[in-house]
Amino acid sequence: MVNVIAVLSGIVASATFADAVTPLSDAALVSAGRAIYQHSCASCHGARGEGARAWQQPDRRGELPAPPHDSSGHTWKHSDAMLYRIVQQGWRDAFNKTERLTMPAYKGQLSRTETIAVITYLKTLWTPKQRKFQREESRRQPFPTGAP
Amino acid sequence: MSIALRPIWHRPAVVATLLLAGSFAIGSAAAAGKIIAPSAKIVALDFDVDNNALFKAYSRTLYLSRTEGRDWEAIALPNVINRGHITSISIPAKSRGVLYVAGPGFGVLRSEDDGRRWNAINSGLPSNDVVALSSHADQPETLYVLVARRGIFRSEDAGSHWRLMDTGPRAKVVQFVHSNMPGSMQTGWLFAATARGVSRSMDCFCGWRDAGALGRPVTAVAYQRAHPKEVYAAAKDALFFSADGGEHWSPLPSPGHNVSALVATPAGTLYAAVSSGGLFRSADAGMTWHRVDE
Repeated sequence: MVNVIAVLSGIVASATFADAVTPLSDAALVSAGRAIYQHSCASCHGARGEGARAWQQPDRRGELPAPPHDSSGHTWKHSDAMLYRIVQQGWRDAFNKTERLTMPAYKGQLSRTETIAVITYLKTLWTPKQRKFQREESRRQPFPTGAP
Repeated sequence: MSIALRPIWHRPAVVATLLLAGSFAIGSAAAAGKIIAPSAKIVALDFDVDNNALFKAYSRTLYLSRTEGRDWEAIALPNVINRGHITSISIPAKSRGVLYVAGPGFGVLRSEDDGRRWNAINSGLPSNDVVALSSHADQPETLYVLVARRGIFRSEDAGSHWRLMDTGPRAKVVQFVHSNMPGSMQTGWLFAATARGVSRSMDCFCGWRDAGALGRPVTAVAYQRAHPKEVYAAAKDALFFSADGGEHWSPLPSPGHNVSALVATPAGTLYAAVSSGGLFRSADAGMTWHRVDE
């Protein structure tokens, strides 16, 4: 697993360097994003993006569990800009009983290209109708430009 | 959009001119100065922050007060109102002169000139069966409407285009309001008065959840713009206050049975209408109430 991640990290690192000149193809982004997802996200959000059990109700600590990213969830309702911000800056529900970020901040751990790659992978888990909705939401709120 | 698909209605004084000009004018249903019987039910309240004015709506009429509810002037509405009845009114922030009226049968009407002329803005909605409407707390062009059996639609261009966002809470919604309470993933929250309590969602529509455990039909919900975690909810015989965005509720003295509409002004004044017809005002966060429209 570590070797796979290392190889994919190399791909993504190269992609980061090349991004300004030659954008990655969607297939390359999806492939890289899938690897990043399995490494960094799947333990909470599920290997297939199915989310934690009973994710709509607070758990014993009073925290909302990790939601699904597949078509059963609501990730597809968020614009690219919002998804990018949440991955980079983390998130906690305003009514959680704890103060910690239940969604950790990946700023400093995932580059701009890596963040875009993992979000691009998430889009493969949605229905065409959901992808269309999300594309329209992202028109006004696209991925940030110039972020590291 | 053609004039025929988007008719303009005018007050009687200007109808003749517009008819000569070929516009599709329908005239006025609610004549200025029409007297409303005190027993008539107020169905909606809202407060114009920019003009410090209170609005109240009955089933088919709309009124404005610049004197904290002591004196009222009628705002003429088009005859199309008679196809249904008003359930919601909304005065968007930072948008002088703009009014919205909504209800099943006629959909959503918008005025840009304090109610002198009205446009229907239903194009893109699946039907005119609009159950509830709210404007965004801070974005004057953003509106939310609940269409019966379909869900909540959002417009970000003052009603020119609508988009289905969500099916809404599971329980039947009677009214909702957009709030600028912090902590949302997007720009704010929606609080809905439902048949089972207050329901709450961030305005990215990523899930409706019960706001606390009122566990009873709620007829109206309002919040304090200056302190948006302060939320008020009206049930059949009780009024409730929450200081934490709806997580916990405590009872307040109710101005009467069956509060049908609630609004809080930025200065902290609360107005409540009861279904028997009275309008009440509280200057102490709902602890005491005084009738203002007698």
